[in-house]
Amino acid sequence: MSHMHIPDGVLPVWIVTAGWVVTALILAFCIRRVSTLELKRKVPLIGIISALMIVGMTLEIVPIAYHINLTVLAGIVLGPAPAFISVFIVDLIISMFGHGGVTVVGLNTIVIGAEAVLGYYLFQLFREVMENKSMFREASLAAFLSLFLCTSIMLGIVYVSNVSPEKMESIGHLVTGTGSNTNDLNIPENGINFSRFAKTVFILCPLGWILESVITGLVVKYVFRVRPDLILPERA
Amino acid sequence: MDVSTIDYYANHGTSFLHGARALSKIIFAGLVIASVVISSSFYLLLAVYVLLLTLVIWTRLPVLKIVTIAAYPAIFALIFAAASWNGSWVSAGVIVLKALSAALAMVILIVTTPYPDVFSSIEPVLPRIITEGLFLTYRSLFVLLELTDNLVKGLRVRGGLTHGRYIKNVVNFSSGIGLLLVRGLDISEKFYGVLNVRGYSGRISGGGRHEKTGAGDFTALLIGVLIFGAALAVKINRGLSAYDGYILALSLAVLILSTVYVIHPNTWGRAWKK
Repeated sequence: MSHMHIPDGVLPVWIVTAGWVVTALILAFCIRRVSTLELKRKVPLIGIISALMIVGMTLEIVPIAYHINLTVLAGIVLGPAPAFISVFIVDLIISMFGHGGVTVVGLNTIVIGAEAVLGYYLFQLFREVMENKSMFREASLAAFLSLFLCTSIMLGIVYVSNVSPEKMESIGHLVTGTGSNTNDLNIPENGINFSRFAKTVFILCPLGWILESVITGLVVKYVFRVRPDLILPERA
Repeated sequence: MDVSTIDYYANHGTSFLHGARALSKIIFAGLVIASVVISSSFYLLLAVYVLLLTLVIWTRLPVLKIVTIAAYPAIFALIFAAASWNGSWVSAGVIVLKALSAALAMVILIVTTPYPDVFSSIEPVLPRIITEGLFLTYRSLFVLLELTDNLVKGLRVRGGLTHGRYIKNVVNFSSGIGLLLVRGLDISEKFYGVLNVRGYSGRISGGGRHEKTGAGDFTALLIGVLIFGAALAVKINRGLSAYDGYILALSLAVLILSTVYVIHPNTWGRAWKK
């Protein structure tokens, strides 16, 4: 649970749709970028990294729901554009297992994709600043910070959906229901208590961030030792 | 997420849903999810969940296993429910039921349809690199799962994962993941090379197991349309929500009758093993 998967039916339709539109635009940009790269090398890499992320999600470290995501590792190994594509593929596949909503694949891709992209840039930044030989500290720190930032993005999405006037329209809004509803078993017009939600998330997530960042650091350290070209393509 | 088990169920099941085309089941799942999104009635959502449970029983797959797989989003939904708690269990129940029902609809799709069939059905709306990525991810997934299994066994046998040595365990486990990445990449590159040599053009073949539309397709679509119709009717005419209880009672009756019918010939959860 280093990040959270937003389930179906929790957020309003307008923000879910916006999530799909933004994801489609980012994907179009990423696909154009990837097409200029060495595609035959990148496609198997996208496949294996996506599969590795899914395998990571099947390995529950702390019951319940704490698993590794390896998104920052994806960012470091693939680079930002292929990593975003990889995250979309993973989100699409895991939504079929009920692991994160289908309607919110767009939003989840933005949150988790940002994790991979930020992870890549933070890793490059720390690599230049720290100049450590093992890459453990750079990767761990990049993972921790990007997880923190992406949890904040997820909270931002929930906050925006909560304060929007659109939620007054009944279809699918946050904790749906309308004032005109006469049925007692239709839920009332209350949104998510944002501060309570943020507190819950920030209590639950740090353990996941620490685990994920340590594991990411160690994996990067290992891969850098045996296949440095995967971490630093200029060494290829 | 037990990926190999799900794949096994999808490929070895014999129910009417297994016989239906992937596209029909995708439309069914889409209709159920649309119903879940537009519905805010606790009884109606519970009725949808009960109907989906009935469908799971009809697939004659292990019900508890499938319900457990589909229960994962409830953990996240509970956090949302806790954050919006207003003293009413109905609000919390609605959020959790929405997550559970949507997840169960998707899990029903994926335990009755092999992944390549699903991918080939959504292929026309996706760019080539995504479909190639989906295909290679699917292929790599099972390679990695096998490697992971061997790796964990190897680590245990050699004392790499032992109680009480948590730091060492994390280090060994992480090195194992690094090894998986390096080995998996080698295998995947070879596989992709072989595909290209054999003239792979980026098109995924669904295998063509269920090309003909049959009774299974109509049943899946009919159930989807009925669920969506009920949700839409209640959404448009609020007065109809007074009848939600009847819909729930009806779906419970269908569930009980289906359970009795499936248990009676003593094939509970084992039909797929034939």
